[in-house]
Amino acid sequence: MVLAERVHPAPVKPVAEGAPPRRPRNVAYLFLGPWLLGAIGLTVAPMVVSLYLSFTDYDLFNSPRWIGLDNYLKLFGDDPRYLQSVGVTLRYVAWSVPMKLVLALAVALLLNSLRGKGQAFFRSAFYAPSLLGASVGLALAWRAIFDTWVDTPDHALITIVLLSAWQFGAPMVIFLAGLQQIPRDLFDAAAVDGAGWWRRLWSITLPMLSPVLFFNLVLETIHAFQAFTQAFVVSGGRGGPADSTLFYTLYLYERGFTEFRMGYASAMAWVLLVAIALITAVLFRTSRYWVFYGDER
Amino acid sequence: MKAHKVVGLVLGAVFLASGCGGGSASGGQTEIRFIWWGNDNRAKVTNEAVRLFESRNTDIKVSTSFQNFQNYFEKLSTEIAGGNAPDVIQMDYRYLNEYAGRNVLLDLTPYVGKEIRTADWDQGFIGSGKLRGKQVAMPLAQNSTTIVYDPKLFEAAGVKAPEIGWTWADYKETAARIQAGTGGKIAGSTDFGGTEDVFETWLRQRGKTLYTDDGKPGYTRDDLKAFWQLSKDFRDAKATTPAELVTTLNAGAEQTPMGKKLSASEHSYDSLYGGYNTVRPDELKLGPYPSDSKVLGSYRKPSQLISASARTKNKEAAVKLIDFLLNDPDAGKILGANRGLPANLKIREAVAQNLSGADKVVFEYQKSVDAKLGDAPAAPPKGDGAIYKLMQRKHEEIVFGRKTIDQAVEEFWRDAEEALK
Repeated sequence: MVLAERVHPAPVKPVAEGAPPRRPRNVAYLFLGPWLLGAIGLTVAPMVVSLYLSFTDYDLFNSPRWIGLDNYLKLFGDDPRYLQSVGVTLRYVAWSVPMKLVLALAVALLLNSLRGKGQAFFRSAFYAPSLLGASVGLALAWRAIFDTWVDTPDHALITIVLLSAWQFGAPMVIFLAGLQQIPRDLFDAAAVDGAGWWRRLWSITLPMLSPVLFFNLVLETIHAFQAFTQAFVVSGGRGGPADSTLFYTLYLYERGFTEFRMGYASAMAWVLLVAIALITAVLFRTSRYWVFYGDER
Repeated sequence: MKAHKVVGLVLGAVFLASGCGGGSASGGQTEIRFIWWGNDNRAKVTNEAVRLFESRNTDIKVSTSFQNFQNYFEKLSTEIAGGNAPDVIQMDYRYLNEYAGRNVLLDLTPYVGKEIRTADWDQGFIGSGKLRGKQVAMPLAQNSTTIVYDPKLFEAAGVKAPEIGWTWADYKETAARIQAGTGGKIAGSTDFGGTEDVFETWLRQRGKTLYTDDGKPGYTRDDLKAFWQLSKDFRDAKATTPAELVTTLNAGAEQTPMGKKLSASEHSYDSLYGGYNTVRPDELKLGPYPSDSKVLGSYRKPSQLISASARTKNKEAAVKLIDFLLNDPDAGKILGANRGLPANLKIREAVAQNLSGADKVVFEYQKSVDAKLGDAPAAPPKGDGAIYKLMQRKHEEIVFGRKTIDQAVEEFWRDAEEALK
């Protein structure tokens, strides 16, 4: 193990009187050790292995067989369900992310205007659905509530979008913190100049909040691409009816774990990873046009 | 859950676990692991039988665990991939080839008729655990396809209950009358067009099979077209469930249109009667499939099978447990008809002596159709699991008007060939 050398406790050297105490750098590695082990053993190593597997035919039980780019070629050339799952996922991201952010911002504005009057209570209350968010029980309840919607191809995806939008607690709390950072005097000055509520929102709140908005947008977009639990539970693990809720992750799971095509599933995982990285990069590129940091002039 | 992490975590576990195999012995005791799917009720009787086994074989310790059916095979596949396979494994007919075809299951052939006694068995039934000449599993119990129906609704509509000799046309008319009689509130039948089990039974009535012995489709595109047309005829005659209910067929018996009291009759398996009976106690009956030929199409299907892992280090103990569960009279008494009709005919007879409740209904149905039941075909080939779902999906697309029957058949055929490769 490469790490072992560095994990040795540093020898204690006598410290000259009057000089600032030296901090042995190696101690940092000691404290980082458990995390590093976890990161390497449970994230980096499996990712490297899955990259390898994506070039193989691997059925979980027998040794993987190298097939080069076949999995990737098949993904884009010869798998209509794969394209369907990409379509469903893109639609989901395009609907759920804006909806969730608008809701989160609206509620944050509302709570911000309360200024202490029960704000803490309402903040917790609105956050509650997000705490329950990933729970299977909640998705089951959702399934029961939207019983007939969930069972028709035209509406099934909408119910999952709504379920996700309803869990706007995390971006809302971040928005709220951002709103409370905006200096009051900006608003006071604007009010003196006769600016109305909309004008202040558009010209002060949103620009001042744009870094937070950007942060939430990036985070929620990444999350939305990786949505799994709700779709799995609401559609009973099938992505139905008629593949209308066949999320990318759901299809990946089906390929890997119920059809034993783990090589193919690994290729899917890597395409998703690269796609998310690209989209995040694009978002960062656009940010220079609309994100306003306070120190800019 | 993050996609790449799902894969990553599992693969990580695979590599961590590959170092430590199961079946460690301590103090001269052999330890084996036995897993199955089922509910609490099944767990209770199974564990009781296992305890009896342990008390008779004090040198063997058996650890057990169970899952529901949906999660069972996912857990099993990851455990086997991780080099941590259970020694004794409850198997499903549909998955037999998926596992045996990947050399995961122990060939029991040398033990059959010796350590695993089969003198009191229907010899044809033993073959249902055989693949390419190897006995990769032993059937645990028997079930068959059936029509579950609500006799009150049949009576109210003044129609005859299902009986041997009724035809698909009879069924359609019966179902339409029931549905009309309830003002359309309760469907006359549950839409069967997406269910491979129904398709298979229907094919057998026409002298065909779902798969040939070498694992190719035993039917043509025209057969499938005719089957989907039949299901459409039911919809056109207002004799079956609406489109929104078509997805619920995937759930347990309790969640189907029949379990929810939205349908008067449903294609199912007799071994699922217990599930129906918990939500609609003593309300439902079992009847034979309709058929347009002399052949009923239903067969003696192994409801579950039992296998040993090819990688077990304790073959003798695993085989001993398998024989005990299959053939010991006391184990038979404890297990009853929980998994269907016991495979050992002497035990089946003994169980039949004091039946009650759901078990009784199942046994009586089996008796009524026994003369008409065929032997089980070879287990479905690798890829059937995917085709099973494919059929549901394509049928859904027809029902929701997204595809014509012809389009659906073509797409089904293309994907099915891919799955069977």
